[in-house]
Amino acid sequence: MTLELELQTLWAALVFYVLAGTVAIFGVVLQRKPERTVLGLLLAGLALQTLSIAFRWDRLGHGPYITMYEILLSNIWSLLTVYVIAYWRIPQIRATAAVVMPILFVMMGWLLMTSPNAGHLPATYHTVWLFIHIGFGKIFLGTVLVAVGISGIILLRQSRYGAGRFTRMPNDDRLDELSFRFMAIGLIFDTLMLIAGAIWAQDAWGRYWNWDPLETWAFLTWLFVAFSLHARFTYKTTPRTGALMVLGVFVLAFLTFFGVPFISPSPHKGAV
Amino acid sequence: MEQPDPLRNAPLQGILWQLLDILASLKFTLLIIVALAAGVIVAYTSKTQATWALVVPLAACAVNLAATVMTNPVFRRQTPLLIFHLALIAIVLLVAIGRLTYLKGQLELAEGEVFDGQLTQEESGPWHPRKLSELQFSNEGFTVSYAKGMRRGDTRNQVAWTDTEGRVHREVIGDQDALILAGYRFYTSFNKGYAPAFIWQPNSGGSPMLGTVHLPAYPLHEYKQSLEWTPPGSRMPLWIMLQFDEVILDPERPSEFRLPSQHRIIVREGEVRHELKSGESVRLADGVLVYDGLHSWMGYTVFYDFTLPWLLAAGMLAVLSLALHFWKKFSVRPWDKD
Repeated sequence: MTLELELQTLWAALVFYVLAGTVAIFGVVLQRKPERTVLGLLLAGLALQTLSIAFRWDRLGHGPYITMYEILLSNIWSLLTVYVIAYWRIPQIRATAAVVMPILFVMMGWLLMTSPNAGHLPATYHTVWLFIHIGFGKIFLGTVLVAVGISGIILLRQSRYGAGRFTRMPNDDRLDELSFRFMAIGLIFDTLMLIAGAIWAQDAWGRYWNWDPLETWAFLTWLFVAFSLHARFTYKTTPRTGALMVLGVFVLAFLTFFGVPFISPSPHKGAV
Repeated sequence: MEQPDPLRNAPLQGILWQLLDILASLKFTLLIIVALAAGVIVAYTSKTQATWALVVPLAACAVNLAATVMTNPVFRRQTPLLIFHLALIAIVLLVAIGRLTYLKGQLELAEGEVFDGQLTQEESGPWHPRKLSELQFSNEGFTVSYAKGMRRGDTRNQVAWTDTEGRVHREVIGDQDALILAGYRFYTSFNKGYAPAFIWQPNSGGSPMLGTVHLPAYPLHEYKQSLEWTPPGSRMPLWIMLQFDEVILDPERPSEFRLPSQHRIIVREGEVRHELKSGESVRLADGVLVYDGLHSWMGYTVFYDFTLPWLLAAGMLAVLSLALHFWKKFSVRPWDKD
């Protein structure tokens, strides 16, 4: 498999994603429900991106988790996978595609500006705990993304433009409750990600926790998730407040996943 | 409808319950989470030790959790939630016990050398049970592969140790695999290098002593393979340098850490310079130095924390009970119904 074939397949996937996002946005603007079309386009994009990742994996002999390009590539795939499952299983939230897809477009644009060259696979990455740790992290971010989509609808409804555009969706209280459910699942997987990461760190570097930049920000993210869920019980927050907290969690998680690599050249600085 | 708690009505216990109610308050929990986040940032950014920034909110967290479990009637109805909170208390306590009893250290062993309990660097909790001196293992040599561009690959280190029944065990450790002896976990590190071995015969008499001098790590200090060393019983420091011409780790192609096929040792005593090959000796002011040959040395990190498996169990219990709690909570109403 060549890099060229891998990139061509990826480009084809991105075209399907952009089409899906565009159709979803027009659906909201024109008050239509092109849900089957959006789902079909997303599935086609996912199939092609899966193929592209498989080509890369086969060519390099390791999964997409070393370079910034690979981290973005695999996260776009996992975020969309989680989102597509939610989109398919919960029809009431399908209009959230108009909120979720533009966020993913930003990541896709970033991906295209990143070098697809291969990185070095450190010896400490030859472990099953790497997959478990990364897998849990991806599910966490995926569930938070779904909650972000729902929260985006809650906030858009309060704007003059969005007030009359999401009338087919459940009321704000129900959306808030659904958003809470996804955040609760997110907390479970975030916790599992930290536990699996600690096991890996203990095996690989002789310590389960060392407050490196990524560990520190991952823990702060976990605290913020716990805070946002606890605050709902404590203050019986409004859907708007709940939505804003979900956005806050997403921003922090996004910076942890994709911002810390700017501070540190490797996912865990000094630990490779 | 909630039944009144008879204990709360007992007159002597009224104040205690009020205090517990304050400590168990959800607002206090939120405050603790914020304090813990602030503590993490302080500990992360502080240039000095700032353990207190984490210890204070964690202690408050344990108090808050314990008070919540004692006073909140919801735990009598929701067992998974009760287990989750108890597991969190266990985690906080285990982390505290771990910090009081842990040990983290470093050591270096030349090939063939036996670990005798001595560490080159260490930090430990005040209640650490010192059992290191009871442990013994030997370094039987290692390989470290390098990819093109001198990027470190697999480390494989054979070690040997004898169990309490006198049986000798051999094991290959490295990267993901630690040697675990009496709860101490020994890991290979990226630190490794060359160790010339010398036999020192002091003028003052006594039996000759064999030992190794660990030169600075290789390839980290590739161009500084020298060290000042004072032989035992001597007052005259020597300057030791390893010289070889061949390329060991070639950035242009995959390679492996190994001993150079040809090398010499430079020994300088004051202004006098000597060049030695394996088996050669030199008479110095305080004795005779025999160069016995070149070995490698491996740097190890050692970690002890007996709470690790309990911490893992408590963490898994916490996450599973929380998952069960949410499962029961969410299954009451389907996800896809308004």
